Amino acid sequence: MSLLLLAAAEQPKVHLTPQTRILAAVIAVAFMLMILELIRRGRLQERFSVVWFVAGIGMLAGAIFPGLLGTVADLMGVRDTNVALFSIILLLLLGLALNFSVIMSRQAAQITRLAQERALEKAREEARSGENGGEPERERL
Amino acid sequence: MTAWENRRIRTLVFIPAWNEAESVASVIGDVRERLPEVDVLVVDDGSTDATAARAREAGARVASLPFNQGLGAALQTGYLYALREGYDFCAHLDADGQHPPAEAARLLAEVRAGRADLVIGSRYHEDGVSAADAEDVGGEDYKATISRQIGISVFRFFLTLATRQRFTDTTSGMRAANRRVMELFSENYSPDFAEIESLQLAVREGLRVEEVPVRMLERAGGSSFLTPLRSAFFIFKGMIVLLVGQFRPRQIGASR
Repeated sequence: MSLLLLAAAEQPKVHLTPQTRILAAVIAVAFMLMILELIRRGRLQERFSVVWFVAGIGMLAGAIFPGLLGTVADLMGVRDTNVALFSIILLLLLGLALNFSVIMSRQAAQITRLAQERALEKAREEARSGENGGEPERERL
Repeated sequence: MTAWENRRIRTLVFIPAWNEAESVASVIGDVRERLPEVDVLVVDDGSTDATAARAREAGARVASLPFNQGLGAALQTGYLYALREGYDFCAHLDADGQHPPAEAARLLAEVRAGRADLVIGSRYHEDGVSAADAEDVGGEDYKATISRQIGISVFRFFLTLATRQRFTDTTSGMRAANRRVMELFSENYSPDFAEIESLQLAVREGLRVEEVPVRMLERAGGSSFLTPLRSAFFIFKGMIVLLVGQFRPRQIGASR
């Protein structure tokens, strides 16, 4: 019990060294610039970029206002801010990965239907050209 | 009604084929000989060999998917074609020569007679099939490997549990169907677990599904893809599919 109290009392507030904060800010900015560049080159569609900008802005905010992380950790009821940080990131990535699987599944279904439509259209075309004179493709039934 | 009666009943037999250039022509020839009244469509699932050309030479229509999409998508293409082109009945069988077209004729007879919406050709005729029927089928029976047998009995158990209807051959690729099934399968056909999920789906939608014992031949060439590990994965995936399928909203009621 006393140990717990001691630990609570000694709970370190977030202390990020200036170097860490600068590094984090630089990475965040570079990350967002990279996203912009990918959009500019047409390698990334705008609608998929929103989530990455939100991530970049969150990272930048964390670097500029170090108290923010402590507040979030308190809200979550987590004593260790590092644990709070990692859980948040992990959950976000998990959600994002799932989101991509959903998108992939939808696109796989769309690609399949597209392929099927094309196959049917070509088959119909062939049947039509077979009837219109061309080489007699089918025998009389 | 009279106009309906005057109309010729049209039937399509479709054959999904992926790199089956060697066997596809003889299968088509067989179908045309045994079932002279049907149209034959080969669904070429992105073959890189001469499957499509051989099929055309043999007198079949060919629908070529631009790239390999898997058996489920190929079968769905066949159902979609049958539906769009206004066929009354359709049947499908494998391109590797395992399915004798004469047996497909028996499946078609069942749906044409209106005894079922979907008829499955079963390799494993157990009880529920009269001795006379089994005799009639006769011939050399299809023999399954051990790992395949385990998978088959697991699926049989769970599909029976899910549908409350007894199925002996859940993965059979020889089936016959009417337009109700074409409508259902052309819109809802799992690309991953076509054979099993489609049975579950059909039963759930209130269609009459029936099994007819058929004789199948040993595959002409190549080996089954099922190693023990793959079988385990296959079974696991199949159980997830069946479980999820039980909670899927019904389609027919909703769309009408």
